Amino acid sequence: VLCTAAARLVQFAGCSRVAPVSFIVAMVLAIAGCAFDISHVQRVPTTFVAASGGPDWTLDQDHSIGVGSGFPTQLRHGTHWQLVGRVPEGDVYHTSDQIVTVEASNIFEAMLVVQGVQVAGFYLPVEHSFVAASDRPALPIERRSTP
Amino acid sequence: MNKTVQRAAALPRLLLVWMTLAVLAGCATSGATYTELQAKLAPPPAGEGRVFIYRTTVLGAAVQPSVMLNGTVVGHAVPRGFIYLDRPAGNYTISTETEVTRTLSLTLVSGQVRYVRLNIGMGFFVGHVWPELVSDQEGISDIGECHLVGS
Repeated sequence: VLCTAAARLVQFAGCSRVAPVSFIVAMVLAIAGCAFDISHVQRVPTTFVAASGGPDWTLDQDHSIGVGSGFPTQLRHGTHWQLVGRVPEGDVYHTSDQIVTVEASNIFEAMLVVQGVQVAGFYLPVEHSFVAASDRPALPIERRSTP
Repeated sequence: MNKTVQRAAALPRLLLVWMTLAVLAGCATSGATYTELQAKLAPPPAGEGRVFIYRTTVLGAAVQPSVMLNGTVVGHAVPRGFIYLDRPAGNYTISTETEVTRTLSLTLVSGQVRYVRLNIGMGFFVGHVWPELVSDQEGISDIGECHLVGS
């Protein structure tokens, strides 16, 4: 019904025959893009074990970490990170200096998972899941200290 | 006859005025603002945290979906309105539903205050309202002139 209405509307406006087809395609894309959940992240159930006393560090520069959703997570320069636990995928770090979320069609509060100085992904504490980073960038760390 | 024609011609204008008034009435948000209430608000009870959920924009004012906390309706996405909820420390999801359901998951620690902004985006038939966790600084800056619409 929508397509017919669109085609008639365009024809009424005096456009060529190609125009209604383009218009319909545009409408279908709009429906697909707006009305449905199109962006997902791959979540893997994981086991979190609380830990503390590990080395903490400060991020040396802004950093963007993708998870394949099209909405990378921005980590800000100057944020201070503390070890809060471990998952099989790496050490879990938390910061109080910024909000960290993994974003797709839905948004998940997240903590950073690091292996050595490389980002492994994110731990989602509500979902008890791990989301892998698209690549494994080395973190530009300003300093590390062991309390 | 002329008067009848004039009245008929005025009808669309009256209709427009009526619709405008109806829309404005729908947009109007009463209740104290966050700035007015801030000093009077007691901290969350022991063992609980507080979540402020607010919407600043009047864009798409007619779209005011229910706001759900862990699947239970706790309010509506009223333009320039806010609600606050004191809840035990734990894990929560906040969701809104229009054409689609948009969900935010967050943790709440005892004594913690969190700010969730309801944004509006384009949809096909109706706009989408989606909750976003923002920093305390951003939340306090945003919410100042929003009105309490329930708690």
